[in-house]
Amino acid sequence: MELQEKLKILADSAKYDASCSSSGSKRVNNNEVGNTAVSGICHSFSSDGRCISLLKILLTNSCIYDCKYCLNRKSNNVRRAMFTPEEICRITINFYRRNYIEGLFLSSGIIKSPDFTMELLIETILLLRNKYHFNGYIHAKAIPGASELLLKKLGSIVDRLSANVELPTENGLKLLAPNKEGKKVDKIMNYVKDNHSRKFVPAGQSTQMIIGATKESDLDIMSKSSNMYDKYNLKRVFYSAYIPVNKDNLLPNLVTPPLVRENRLYQADWLLRFYNFKVDDLLNESNPNFNVLVDPKTDWALRHLDEFPKEINSCSYYELLKIPGVGVKSAKRIISSRRQFTIELSDLKRMGVVLKRAKYFILCNGKYFTNSAFFKKNFIEANIIIEDREKISINKEQLRLF
Amino acid sequence: MDKVYLYDGSFVGLLNLILELIKMNERPYNIKDELYSSSLFETLINFDIPWDDNILKNMRLSFGKYALDVIYYVFLSEENNKELIIYYFVLNALKFHKNIVYRRDLKCVSEALRISQYVIHEGHKMKGFLRFKELENKVLYAEIEPTNDVILLVSDHFKRRLCNEYWIIRDVKRGLLSIYNKKKYIVVLEENFTFSTLILSEEEKEMESLWKVFYKTIGIDARRNDRCRRNFMPKKYWKYILEVEDEL
Repeated sequence: MELQEKLKILADSAKYDASCSSSGSKRVNNNEVGNTAVSGICHSFSSDGRCISLLKILLTNSCIYDCKYCLNRKSNNVRRAMFTPEEICRITINFYRRNYIEGLFLSSGIIKSPDFTMELLIETILLLRNKYHFNGYIHAKAIPGASELLLKKLGSIVDRLSANVELPTENGLKLLAPNKEGKKVDKIMNYVKDNHSRKFVPAGQSTQMIIGATKESDLDIMSKSSNMYDKYNLKRVFYSAYIPVNKDNLLPNLVTPPLVRENRLYQADWLLRFYNFKVDDLLNESNPNFNVLVDPKTDWALRHLDEFPKEINSCSYYELLKIPGVGVKSAKRIISSRRQFTIELSDLKRMGVVLKRAKYFILCNGKYFTNSAFFKKNFIEANIIIEDREKISINKEQLRLF
Repeated sequence: MDKVYLYDGSFVGLLNLILELIKMNERPYNIKDELYSSSLFETLINFDIPWDDNILKNMRLSFGKYALDVIYYVFLSEENNKELIIYYFVLNALKFHKNIVYRRDLKCVSEALRISQYVIHEGHKMKGFLRFKELENKVLYAEIEPTNDVILLVSDHFKRRLCNEYWIIRDVKRGLLSIYNKKKYIVVLEENFTFSTLILSEEEKEMESLWKVFYKTIGIDARRNDRCRRNFMPKKYWKYILEVEDEL
């Protein structure tokens, strides 16, 4: 098989993994090929608008497992291919030198056994690091069920190591991925957390969940995420809207991937990591799914109007973070600026605050943006939804295309 | 007549002129580099200013590194009145010192911060979007056309990243070449060089088509979103981005 054909098959089967970040690692170039940028660098954007930072490929798309949602499952009749380690090295180095990519994201279907597959991944990456002196970013997938020794070897030559939990509950996993066990993924994440250092998985670990393939609620998903962030010190949880690639009675019959839901989950994920929110601030048993009409923070603010409006010139950093339209950067700018002068409404825009959203929830030097009699839930909610409508209708337009 | 003061086009030259103007208590109508051609009602003033070689060091001590970085990035921008913005920034920095960067209530500060962010972002984007071609003699060659003058930012990055390669980066719009010889890079005016036709290496075509195949494959059709792609990767750069140049 020609190299081009292989690349096509093995990139096609890798593309459903959402992660492509190349941040968090500080490799300095010691006369080898390449370094890494702590902030990460996007080299291109694919037709779906996602960042391309890494050469994302599988070593092989052959697999002994039969996970229902997966294109590469054993029972699917698709063309199979396998790279040789030399081929992967040659493409990676040549792409890197031409500045197409930040590095390599290598995953694989399971052939023979988890250990055997892991050994192949290690062989390939060792070749790339030692023979080709590649010093750029490498993200590798750890194969659940492989031995700890192999995990140790792989972790010491890559920047990021990840294992996908795929589904938020063990029940979902049993249903759709009968060969996978949540316990085995937990074991990997635990091992990486315990051994994390500058020499071992320096950019930390991440994981991915598929959204909308099973019946779990947003509450199930966010609880799982929050739990994993706490327990395993994950850098990121990725959410991947389920895209029907296989027909199966066990799978939902979706016409379009649940992209709005995926977006809400990402927004909430940010609230957990950077805005000091807890899952039960956002969702609970009687309210287990996010509002599709407004973002989770605005939704929260509308349900807690008694805490608003907040005075920009005096409320704390954490209170600033709770204001819709105020981000981490703008909150920090507000804090450093108001030591120098009293902030007026007109200053806020220059600080990166999304005034369109924030104005309903704040006082600036004692003043509300309009008659304070309008500070009522109905008024604010109606305005925000109307202001967002244009955006939503564009999104819907896009969804209708499928 | 409106007085437009001229400087030699360098950052240090501009700062020396600005400090001198402030000392003279002169509020310029505008400040421009020597290539500027005046319009009606403008009079150009080019005078010998006292030259302080330590001006950068002194300013860093007085305003802080962050503030000095901000005005340097503004200097690299294509903003029409960038010199005037820097003038007022420096004028206020003499009063507020290191706190100057927090004074977003001042227009010159909020504008300077906005412009410097823009320049930094574009420099960062170029680090990703730049595409090298391998020439027959293994030299890597890239063309870029950034809005702002970011060739130094980009060169610093590749000096670290590809320290074992010979590379040339060409800013097409400004006619600049950044040439790296495995030790250091220099930026020179293109007009001082004659280029013979560039001959690509044998592997080049193969790698380019492999990359295009990868690019086409990695997008998920069910999620196609052109608007989002254009937001992150503006069309103005596509001419020099191998995998999308055909889509223009």
